Amino acid sequence: MQPLIKDMIRVTALTRTYGSFKALDAVDLSVAPGEFVTLLGPSGSGKSTLLNLISGMTEPTAGKIEINGKDATNQPTNQRGLGMVFQNYALMPHMTVFENVAFPLRVRKMPKSEIETRVRDVLRLIQLDHVADRKPKQLSGGQQQRISLARCIVYRPSIILMDEPLGALDKKLREDMQLEIKRLHAELGITMIYVTHDQEEALAMSDRIVLMRKGRIEQQGKPEDLYFRPDTLFTADFLGSSNLLKGKINSTARSLDTAYGTFPLPTARSDEPISGEAVLMIRPESMRLVSDKASAPGAGLEATVRDSIVLGSFVRHFLELPGGKRMIVQEPSGASISRPARGSTVRIGWDLDDARLLPTDPDFQNV
Amino acid sequence: MSFSRRSNRLVPGIAWVTYLFLLVPSLIVIPISFGGPGEMTFPPRVWTLDLYRQFFADPAWWGSLIQSLQIAVLVTLVTIILGVPAAYALQRTNLPGGKILGGLAMGPLLVPVVVLALGLYLQLGPIGLVDSTWTVVLAHSMLALPFVMVSVGAALRHLDPSYEQVALIMGAGKTRIFFKVVLPQLRAGIAAGALFAFLISLDEVIVAYFITGTDTQTLPVKMYSALRWEVSPVIAAVSTILTVVSLTFAIGLMWLERKDRHD
Repeated sequence: MQPLIKDMIRVTALTRTYGSFKALDAVDLSVAPGEFVTLLGPSGSGKSTLLNLISGMTEPTAGKIEINGKDATNQPTNQRGLGMVFQNYALMPHMTVFENVAFPLRVRKMPKSEIETRVRDVLRLIQLDHVADRKPKQLSGGQQQRISLARCIVYRPSIILMDEPLGALDKKLREDMQLEIKRLHAELGITMIYVTHDQEEALAMSDRIVLMRKGRIEQQGKPEDLYFRPDTLFTADFLGSSNLLKGKINSTARSLDTAYGTFPLPTARSDEPISGEAVLMIRPESMRLVSDKASAPGAGLEATVRDSIVLGSFVRHFLELPGGKRMIVQEPSGASISRPARGSTVRIGWDLDDARLLPTDPDFQNV
Repeated sequence: MSFSRRSNRLVPGIAWVTYLFLLVPSLIVIPISFGGPGEMTFPPRVWTLDLYRQFFADPAWWGSLIQSLQIAVLVTLVTIILGVPAAYALQRTNLPGGKILGGLAMGPLLVPVVVLALGLYLQLGPIGLVDSTWTVVLAHSMLALPFVMVSVGAALRHLDPSYEQVALIMGAGKTRIFFKVVLPQLRAGIAAGALFAFLISLDEVIVAYFITGTDTQTLPVKMYSALRWEVSPVIAAVSTILTVVSLTFAIGLMWLERKDRHD
């Protein structure tokens, strides 16, 4: 049976301006029930503004917000039925862990006995029931963030908003917490909207990534869509590293004329630039070193090896084209790996359809 | 090098001389207060508690101490009840004209106290409001309110607004947020403000001198009159009592501020 609610959140033409600065510019976004959506982008891209508009902390200049099928554009924050996790945890320092988690239940005027069982249950769920009587300051950053998650989960809001929740934690702890949040999301089926500027975090956690740039949505989709099938240079550049070759499209030969040679284009897409200047994008892991000129397209691309390093499961070659342009090629490693010598000449190849033809962008002049 | 080493000893030296210069006049009354009756000399020739006995035997003296303490407590309550919500409103809302209101609250700091006292006397005299305890309480509250608002305002500026935001998102109403989230975290700031208010009222003489009569006079006013009309040695005992009360509260204030910084 299909659930009756189509969208947990739907924002339409949502705009927020500060003077002449458009923090959010006519954004449309829908989030399905139970979905884990990440708002990704550099600082100032509008991701936090969008989150604060959904929470009601900021008032929109124009546009509409619907939560759970109801118009919430002018609804006060405390009636939207949301939960939020902050980067700085925002646990009340004057309350014990138990009181912190019980706070939203006391707001809901729940009977004492039920508060007791609910708080104990949720603390057990995050494996922190032994610290119930301590003050937040006595806990580590990771523990505090888990308590702050528990404080959200305990009252079962339909949506949990997270504003860079792992930003203050070190790398190891951050990875543990990513798994913990994913586990809770899977177990409880709560809709989550997660803000981060960390692309690895976004790729690891999300059902869908919404990449933002200058107050607009640049591109959205599954992590693998954004990573392997970016539509713009900004997306390609923001997620992972990429090799970019700029040139002029030769539409009769379906090739790109660049300063480093002419390369055949991948199979045409409906939205790709048809003529004029364009950029060919190839991920480092889609490239490989080839022995002879004929074995792959682009094999004419000769490069000098600057360095070649083994990073455990893969090996990364840092190459330089004539004229100084840098290229990165990443290949799987193994016991029998042989690295090219520094200063030697190699040839780069790739599968035709692993390359992506992208329009030029005034913000990326130095491609 | 040798110059800077010499100046390293010179600076604390000057500081200590200055401290002593400032402190000696206050401290010298303490030994004097333990002298014999009818004399005010340093060092005292005999050591007795007679001056304190005289103080507590005379209802005009201890009555004005009670009056002063009573007024100081009321001033503390009034300024906290008015000042804490006022500081919160000015800090956390975009009140129209909020800046002007904030400036007005600080006004009494800028007006010379004697001008304020004269103004109050001229305004309240004709309508029969002088010589009333509550008038003194309100006048002192006016003087103490800026200090309460400054110390509570400072505590509020250090209070991360995300505590209030998270409470709001969790569904809490404004009243609950104020009492359960904001107020407990302002404890130290409120305590500091309360102590300021208490001490300002306890020591205040000019305004009280203008608007109190014999039935309502505070201890500093009684001391001032005593100096003018009789120069009783009891004054040394009174000064010591007042100093001890003020000092106790001031040390309490410093301790609270330190505790707040460490928390």
